[in-house]
Amino acid sequence: MSAVLDLLRAHAPMVALALLFGGAAVALMTPHGRTSWALALIAMAAAAAVAADMGWRLLTGGGALDTGALLAIDGVAAFSAPLIAVLMFLAVLAGGSTLADKPKRAQPYVVALHLAVATGWVGALFARDLIGIVVSVHAAWLATAALVAVSAHRGALNGALRMVMSGGAGAAFMLLGAALVIYATGSSAVAGAADAMISAPMMATLGFVLLIAPLLLMAGAAPLHAWAGPAYGRSDAGLVLAVASISALAVITRLAAVAATTTAPGLADGVAAALVCAGVASVLIGSLQAVGAVNVRRLVAYAGAAQAGCVLVAIALESPAGLAAALVQLLAWGVGAFALLAGIAASRDTTLAALDGLGRRAPLAGIAITIGALSFMGAPLTLGFLGRWRLIEAGVGAGWWWATGAAIITSLAAVFYGGRLIERLYFRRATEASNFDVDAWRLARAPVMVAAIMAVACGVAPAWMLNLAQRAAMLALGLTT
Amino acid sequence: MSPELALAALLGAPLLQALLVLALSRPPGLRDLVHVMGSGAVAALAGYLVHAVSQGASPRIVLANPLPNVELAFSAEPLGTLAAAVVGGLGFLHAIHTSGMVRAIDQKAPARLMAFSALTTAAAMAVMFSANLFSFFVAYQALALAAFPLVAHVGDDEARTSARLFLAMLLGASIALLLPAMIWTYTLSGTLEFQVGGVLAGRIDLLSANALLVLFVLGIAAAAAPPMHRWLTMSFTAPYPALVKVQALAVLPAGGVGLLKVFAYVFGPALIAEETGRQILAAQILLGLCGVIMCAAAVIALSKTDIRERLAYSLWAQALAAIIGGLLAAPAGLFAAALQIVATSCAATTLLMAVGTTAAVTGRNNVADYPGLGRVMPWTFAGFAIACASIIGMPPFSGAWSKLWLITASASTGVIWAAGLVGVAAVLTFAHLGPLAANAFAGRAPTDAFKRPDGASILLVAPVILGAAATLGLLVLADPLASFLSPVWTPR
Repeated sequence: MSAVLDLLRAHAPMVALALLFGGAAVALMTPHGRTSWALALIAMAAAAAVAADMGWRLLTGGGALDTGALLAIDGVAAFSAPLIAVLMFLAVLAGGSTLADKPKRAQPYVVALHLAVATGWVGALFARDLIGIVVSVHAAWLATAALVAVSAHRGALNGALRMVMSGGAGAAFMLLGAALVIYATGSSAVAGAADAMISAPMMATLGFVLLIAPLLLMAGAAPLHAWAGPAYGRSDAGLVLAVASISALAVITRLAAVAATTTAPGLADGVAAALVCAGVASVLIGSLQAVGAVNVRRLVAYAGAAQAGCVLVAIALESPAGLAAALVQLLAWGVGAFALLAGIAASRDTTLAALDGLGRRAPLAGIAITIGALSFMGAPLTLGFLGRWRLIEAGVGAGWWWATGAAIITSLAAVFYGGRLIERLYFRRATEASNFDVDAWRLARAPVMVAAIMAVACGVAPAWMLNLAQRAAMLALGLTT
Repeated sequence: MSPELALAALLGAPLLQALLVLALSRPPGLRDLVHVMGSGAVAALAGYLVHAVSQGASPRIVLANPLPNVELAFSAEPLGTLAAAVVGGLGFLHAIHTSGMVRAIDQKAPARLMAFSALTTAAAMAVMFSANLFSFFVAYQALALAAFPLVAHVGDDEARTSARLFLAMLLGASIALLLPAMIWTYTLSGTLEFQVGGVLAGRIDLLSANALLVLFVLGIAAAAAPPMHRWLTMSFTAPYPALVKVQALAVLPAGGVGLLKVFAYVFGPALIAEETGRQILAAQILLGLCGVIMCAAAVIALSKTDIRERLAYSLWAQALAAIIGGLLAAPAGLFAAALQIVATSCAATTLLMAVGTTAAVTGRNNVADYPGLGRVMPWTFAGFAIACASIIGMPPFSGAWSKLWLITASASTGVIWAAGLVGVAAVLTFAHLGPLAANAFAGRAPTDAFKRPDGASILLVAPVILGAAATLGLLVLADPLASFLSPVWTPR
């Protein structure tokens, strides 16, 4: 038994992917929606446990992995894969309550799509070479678009269509970028660029920019987030959007891992400049749009764009401190967005007015939304504050004082839109729009509270998480083994 | 009880009080009893800490380590302890007054009002006892969030607008200005701890000191330095119990104490330029700005006919006097500023409670309706008059001591014009408060004074009288207070 366990642990990346992929297949073949959902939950929980064990062992130096020829686990993947798996498990758990809204025949497909999304993103994180990344990313992206498309509102189809179209264009760019990078560095491996003798730096830079740009689009970074408005604004359940949000998180994580390999002379400056431009634009545009948003889910999408901007700036630093800051910010973003979106799912309507008085009728949803908003603001003792602090610290350490401005703009904008959310939750009377969706909220309660507690607990006692992020950054940059 | 335990209990008691008030909101008598007893416990614990600190104790508790080398810690040092004791003691009187007010005016959601009032007290105490800039930042943000529902309590459009502005100014300034200042300080000194003598002393160049000072003074918007004062003058729409908390007992005093802590424990001698031996340029500019605006605020107050609005501008002028004291960067100036905060808190609480009592039993908020009311409400208006005299700075009331120290400190540090501005502001304050208090007694008593046939209850009058007595009591405490506060600028 012990030998089998050791064998499974040694092949943890493959086991995690097999659990997710196998879970998706089993869920698809199960005719009954509820059974399919239960099986998917078991698969997700098992994959999350395997990923967490693997991440912990890698980041604490507790064991070696046999990743085979197709997979490779760097520090960023070791840190983020468990997070994505756990958040996806929570999303599937919460999504169980809205499953009944779908036609019976469609329910297994919806469940399987959730697992397909998870498989795609975790696969992209574990992929050893660039082609593997392109394939995994687009598999996950198409599954996410399909999830958005099955929403009852026709407007969601518009969002899904935009996702598919932009994803198609993105795939072309990514393949072209991968080809350029392989040509310039002589290697298709992601880690190859770090120590490659680059024959054509301009071509390599262009290749990486072409690789990164579609990832930015998928992450919902402004101004490449044209799909995000309709997809977030029209989908019929915030829980589906939690999946979309986790996808964005995974994309940026993959991007961070790719960027961490671009430290070779002649390559680093160009990629960093591209990331900085994208980051600052995303902070400014996302913050402005979030402040002006009247649809609460769009608000979260735009706020996510601003958060993504901060992560990009941190990644652009290309230092251990910067990458660690990016990982902390990613964690804060993922947990905060999940708490917000899953909390908002307690209401049927998507306008801001739907939140009026929700804090009294659904106190747990109110608490989750409040904590999510506070974390986005960067309020002390939340994960968001740690992310901002780490970004500013890393920026100042590298002489990038202006990075402080990016963090502050994001936080200031969050004070406005977050304050508006909190005011509506607690200081307004309920209107007709604010229908409390008991069904949607029934199973969402536990996951949303887990996310909210994570946002606060990691903010109050973050030492272990900061250490893991630091170690992950060092591993990703090849500064330790 | 050990001082550490007392400190922890002091920070936790208002939180428990808030929970109990909400849990025991019915019957109203039980709710009020819990509120008053909770506030009494806070006052007793603060009093105990004053005694402990005067005996040389310096309790410190650490709640968390959110960042490497940065603790969420609270410690009792003389400045914060004194302010906490005053705020705690007056908070007990205010709790009694609130119990009377919510009955007299049939206040909407009284339990919520009392609960957030207690939470605001907890956050204000945390600000006053913060052991480092990080803890201060955490407590300050908690204070803004806890006080926000108090400002929005009425729930109409006007209240919501005021509350939004309140939150946006306090949180916005803290994120945009205070947070960078904090990180800059950390970068320069490697620590965020409050230290006697200032963590930046000897570690900062002139340009950085000037920039950091501006960031801190404007970032701590609760201190109401211009132009970050709009939250104060807009918050007058809050119900009276909330108004007392925001303007006299929590937000404004906590902002003042926070700024003084920054002056004393972060800058210290770094506020003085070595070459000239005078205040650094930013301090001089801020001194001038605060001095001129202090006079302007007193003039604006004269033009306001709503008593709440007039008092808001008047208290703004008093808050600026405290900032001026701190910016003088001298022990006498810091003592003047601390005394100003304490005296203003005492007088403002008394004044606002008296005005609240008047509004509750007569329905009058306009200054034109005040003449003669002193004849039908002699006790309330006696307290009102004493508080006015203290705010004006009339000898021998406590406010006079702080003004005297302020003028002395200005003159001794070579900023004579600041002393002149303090004097002018006192005259202008007399112009907007003096005639009001005098006419309340000199005017003809109105025949239809009371909207309630039974007049003001003891719950509404007794706290006003006791508050006025506290204002008078400070008169004899100047020397002991100077001795108590001396470790702020002189290490033990």
